[in-house]
Amino acid sequence: MKQIVSLYLAQAREFLRDRSAVFFVLLLPVAFGVFFGLIFSGSSSFVLQLGVVNEDRGPAGSTIIDLLQTPEVQKGITLQMGDRAELLDALEHEQIHILLLLPHDLSEDLAAERQVDVEIFYDSERPSSSDIGLGIVQHLLNDLGLRISGAEPTFALQITSIQSSPLRSIDFYMPGMLGVALLWLGVFGTAQPVVMQREAQVYRRISVTPVTPSTILTAEVAWRVSVGLLQTAAFLLVGYIGFGVGVKSWPLFLTTVLLGTLVFVSMGYMLAGVGKSAESSMAIAQLVNFPMMMLSGSMFSVDMLPSFFQPIVDVLPLTYLSDLLRQTMVGASPEHTLGLNFAVLGGWLIVLVVLARKLWRWE
Amino acid sequence: MEAAIEIRDLVKRYDDVTAVDAISFKVNRGEVFGLLGPNGAGKTTTVECMLGLQEPDGGEVWVLGKAGGAQAKAIRAKIGVQLQTTGLLNQLRVREQMALFAGLFPSALPLDEVLEQVGLSEKAKTVTKVLSGGERQRLAVALAMLNDPELVFLDEPTTGLDPQARRSLWDVIRGLRARGKSVLLTTHYMEEAEQLCDRVAILDRGKIIELDPPTRLINKYFKETAIEFTAERSTNEGSLAALPGVEHIQLENGRTTLFSTDAPRTMAGLFELVAAQKLKFNDLIVRQATLEDVFLKLTGRRIR
Repeated sequence: MKQIVSLYLAQAREFLRDRSAVFFVLLLPVAFGVFFGLIFSGSSSFVLQLGVVNEDRGPAGSTIIDLLQTPEVQKGITLQMGDRAELLDALEHEQIHILLLLPHDLSEDLAAERQVDVEIFYDSERPSSSDIGLGIVQHLLNDLGLRISGAEPTFALQITSIQSSPLRSIDFYMPGMLGVALLWLGVFGTAQPVVMQREAQVYRRISVTPVTPSTILTAEVAWRVSVGLLQTAAFLLVGYIGFGVGVKSWPLFLTTVLLGTLVFVSMGYMLAGVGKSAESSMAIAQLVNFPMMMLSGSMFSVDMLPSFFQPIVDVLPLTYLSDLLRQTMVGASPEHTLGLNFAVLGGWLIVLVVLARKLWRWE
Repeated sequence: MEAAIEIRDLVKRYDDVTAVDAISFKVNRGEVFGLLGPNGAGKTTTVECMLGLQEPDGGEVWVLGKAGGAQAKAIRAKIGVQLQTTGLLNQLRVREQMALFAGLFPSALPLDEVLEQVGLSEKAKTVTKVLSGGERQRLAVALAMLNDPELVFLDEPTTGLDPQARRSLWDVIRGLRARGKSVLLTTHYMEEAEQLCDRVAILDRGKIIELDPPTRLINKYFKETAIEFTAERSTNEGSLAALPGVEHIQLENGRTTLFSTDAPRTMAGLFELVAAQKLKFNDLIVRQATLEDVFLKLTGRRIR
């Protein structure tokens, strides 16, 4: 026990006095969470800026527009009217997301029960807002079509049912960045210092004292779990005081944090064992870090990724950790069930511990 | 009582290089034993085999009566180790570094007392990474003494130290000896070995080529006095060898050393030669032979 306390304290001092470690592992993730949460807050509860050009000579066009201006619909859509040239210009200048063109023979076609050709313009350089917008507009048109053909005049649209997410942007980013923070605990808080201490022959020196390898690792892992809890505390503090981001289920949340910490700390030890030198180990660590950060849905929704990334997304442990953190902190709608999330993370933990043990070297 | 260290036919190979080639020796309790040799002679490898840091390819290692390797943990509480690469945590202050290691042993000496002994009291609160090379080295030695060990391994403890720091470290090692500790010291400073060691083993290319107390080694190889100088232009070796009393001549790096059984007569002859041939000598020294001369004679090269 005395040995564990000594080693724990030494690692704590070594970490807390290393400014770059504290910055990367403790401060930067929280700062990112707040930063992204604020920057993207405008687009979070997504309100579609819909431009409508009504060229219809009959009454149907204005009926649709009246419908789009009912309070239920206005929660999700802001309408902008104008002529074709004007609104195309607005689309180009990113003032609207989607432009809907109601043709001049709309009323005639409807009356004759012919198919109506509706033109929709969107900006392909803004795929995320366009995708969401197109979805909403398509849904809208289907709904309209159904109601018109069903000869049911009460056009009460439930626009809330197609709103992309009920969460605020900060609710999305704080749990996501906590996941990234735990990933960085593995990369910058574990792999990096372990490799550096091995290069400096710290382990070698300590190994000629009456201390066993398992004592050394116990102390180190205990310290790193403490860092994981410190990170979590930082997120909760900033998130709750600053933005009211709390915790929905404490037991599940703490289990998630603990499991996530262990997964990424073992990943750090595994990465430290992979490379031949400090440089190659860190290069490999970065190779894991970057895609994991980008493709796990922690920093932005995986829905925005091209579908060929999906198989990668589906194996990354951070995908499941972030999902769990969102569920247990802000009660986000689950991407996967709790059981699947915990099972995947548990599986990763076993695989990583086995690999870390296999690859580990003291010098 | 069993020997502090006993090694029999120790062999260690790296790929096709035999770093340690079947060496055997014994370090008695309470003695300072020196392993001498140039870089690559196998000193550090030998030490690492004793500590269990390297797996020997052959032979036996006994440390404090316990077989090395298998019983390494039992030995480790009773030994102190200073390695060439200090292996310290950079962000810890000197005293914290001591506290870390103190916590790894069942018991430890008072930290401030040990710091005092190695002359680091004033640096107790200095962060390790800003220590000078010499201070770092002294801290490493302090860590090797911390658990009041029966046997201390010092692997080139004075390399890179300034003369003053080196001498104060010598006092520390003499202190260990005075308290009855056994010390295994590797060094490539012959003067250091002469000053500190009860016995020395000279290692060259993985083999022990001599093992004796330093004075006996010197007497064995040199009954002569050394007369050393740098000649401005090359002198005829034959005329030097013909001087009265000269037994043996060494030429190295432009420096000539005459080993003489009758130094006054050799000197007189040398001065005549200088006058007759209008020679110019610089840095003329008359001295007793040293361990360095022995080493040079045995290996044909200077130790550094």
